[in-house]
Amino acid sequence: MIPSLEQLSVQFTRLIPLGAVAPSVPDSAAAAPAPTATPPPSPGPVQSVDYSLKGYHLDVTVSSGQVVLAAEILDQNGFGLDAITGVDWIAQNEMEVVYDYFHPLSPLRVVVRARVPRGHPELPTLSGVFPGANWHERETHDFFGIRFLGHPDLTPFLLPEDADYHPLRKDFSA
Amino acid sequence: MEASVDTSQIVKFAKLDDLLALSRANSLWPLTFGLACCAIEMMAAGGPRFDISRFGAEVFRPSPRQADVMIVAGTVNKKIAPAVKTLYDQMLEPKWVIAMGNCAISGGPFVFPGQYAVVEGVDQLFPVDVYIPGCPPRPEALIEGILALEQKLTGKRRWPVVKPPQ
Amino acid sequence: MIASNDIPSRTNPQETFVLNLGPQHPATHGVLRIKMTMNGEYVTRAEPVIGYIHRMHEKMGENRTWAQFLPNTGRIDYLSALHYNHAFVGVVERALRIEVPRRAEYIRVITSELNRISSHLVWWSAFLLDLGGFTPLLYAFDDREKILDLLEGVTGSRLTYCYFRFGGLCNDIDDEFIKGTRAFVAQMRPRLKMYRELVTDNIILRKRLEGIGPISAEMCRKYGATGPVIRGAGVAYDVRRSEPYSVYPEFDFEIPVFPEGDSMARYLVRMEEMAQSLRIIEQALGKLPPGPVMGKVPRVLKLPPGDYCYAVEAARGRFLVRTVSDHKEIPYRVKLRTPSFSNLSLYEEASKGMMLPDALALLGSLDLVIPDIDR
Repeated sequence: MIPSLEQLSVQFTRLIPLGAVAPSVPDSAAAAPAPTATPPPSPGPVQSVDYSLKGYHLDVTVSSGQVVLAAEILDQNGFGLDAITGVDWIAQNEMEVVYDYFHPLSPLRVVVRARVPRGHPELPTLSGVFPGANWHERETHDFFGIRFLGHPDLTPFLLPEDADYHPLRKDFSA
Repeated sequence: MEASVDTSQIVKFAKLDDLLALSRANSLWPLTFGLACCAIEMMAAGGPRFDISRFGAEVFRPSPRQADVMIVAGTVNKKIAPAVKTLYDQMLEPKWVIAMGNCAISGGPFVFPGQYAVVEGVDQLFPVDVYIPGCPPRPEALIEGILALEQKLTGKRRWPVVKPPQ
Repeated sequence: MIASNDIPSRTNPQETFVLNLGPQHPATHGVLRIKMTMNGEYVTRAEPVIGYIHRMHEKMGENRTWAQFLPNTGRIDYLSALHYNHAFVGVVERALRIEVPRRAEYIRVITSELNRISSHLVWWSAFLLDLGGFTPLLYAFDDREKILDLLEGVTGSRLTYCYFRFGGLCNDIDDEFIKGTRAFVAQMRPRLKMYRELVTDNIILRKRLEGIGPISAEMCRKYGATGPVIRGAGVAYDVRRSEPYSVYPEFDFEIPVFPEGDSMARYLVRMEEMAQSLRIIEQALGKLPPGPVMGKVPRVLKLPPGDYCYAVEAARGRFLVRTVSDHKEIPYRVKLRTPSFSNLSLYEEASKGMMLPDALALLGSLDLVIPDIDR
């Protein structure tokens, strides 16, 4: 079934109050001067986005515990998993996990984001909803060290089997 | 008295070493070891336009026990380095190595300060006989590399070096 | 296929052994390792192990300026390098709202479609090599050399192109290219017909591929498999139609879809795609507008903070570049969502219970380029 952008927005907005998403607050101002890399502030957790500028239609910010619910909403609407990746916002002491979704029968593109603290990056796994997430999460773990709880096999994937480093972290040095 | 028959066209005398070198050089069997982009140029060299079989080298053997020359075509990274070394060790003497492409020579375009995955040149693992630069090198360059290897074996060059027109 | 209660498991233990396919193997199209747990000739579990050609493209994205990363894009999937060029220049053009001249867009489409044909020809030769036929390689590489001659005259490289620039192209095409491409299109159509008669309709190939390796549309959606894999499962998903980019909406071409979902369907999708690419090239050559090939681009490229995506239909499927910028000259993060990664992820589930030669036919029909998986 091919959803419309409005239907999706409504479904997500119903989901968000289940776990309030605190907007991303930088650490205490005394910690550091203006961080070197800040994402632009988002006006709300579910927002439509200009496709011609960004390349996707809907931007949903959820808490780390809600990513599976968000994935289930998208699965029921017929979306497919495009990619899962991480971004290391070291200046804010957080990591962001970004989930891209595409729809085989419509042009809609949805992005779901979740933030986790950098010292303790844990999220539930999506492999129960989208089996393709298995490999994407393994790769994200390889590069960032983000742990996906419930993942069947979170061993090094792209890196050598005995690798204990996470190269895409901003404080990584070979 | 019988006239002496000129048999020089049919019977040759030479040192056994030279004959062995000539026969090895003219029938180099490469190991199918295409790792990355250079592998496609290696396949193109085996294709109909460049035709490596003119030089006796079209028989790509998948098994290292049956191959003479390992053409390392592509980037060697730290995860596959032990496997490459094992393949080299499994090849029987006499064996040669051609490092094809910038990655096999020195890590290629993937070397940057702080790089964590690429072995900077396959000669860090075992000795290399011929280096063919390029990213990827043209099939003609690979053929030139094989001719250089033949020259290394026999001491003579089968094909004169092509001089570009002035 | 064997009945599921014959597959060894903890409740039904039979003697199995682990066969290591690769990383050096003629049929894995690169350095892919598959740990196959076998029960005789049947595969009970095929676990791909990757990372043997991991070349740190995403890390290099954070170490290079936007322009310095362009040569990397040609090496991620070297067989369809121009598509990957396109996605990366596209994401910057989208973020900075750079306007690309129409002539440049047309030439991008022509060269990309030529690249698609050359990529499918390599797939075709390697696939038939896996199935045991060497001769198609010789014919396909001959056709491919003609394409490479055309592209070399314009881009300077044979394989890992870096021809697109932000705002347009590196240089314009000349009359020799236009004449040569027209001649190529004219001679390629009878060749495709010959390939169909000699190879596609060949009873041995049909027996090897028909019914082998069924992948359903639902499996494709769950794993994110795109390209000929999803089109061979009956879903007409093509990024050129779904998220139109460049000037593709101006051309009249079909998306080949075959509903069977087996290896033969994926094979036929790619053969038909070559014919459709020839159609697009012909139309583009006919309508090629005059004009410049480079638009106005700021001297220093700094994208506004935020994340941007651009997707293209590469030869293997959907390729997405997702980049995060923090208004510096180097990107903050470059994520490359490659089609072969998602396409291979369904291999473990799809190959359960298959015989080994059929499992290899399935692997070949997915059309993988391993550096595309490992990046």
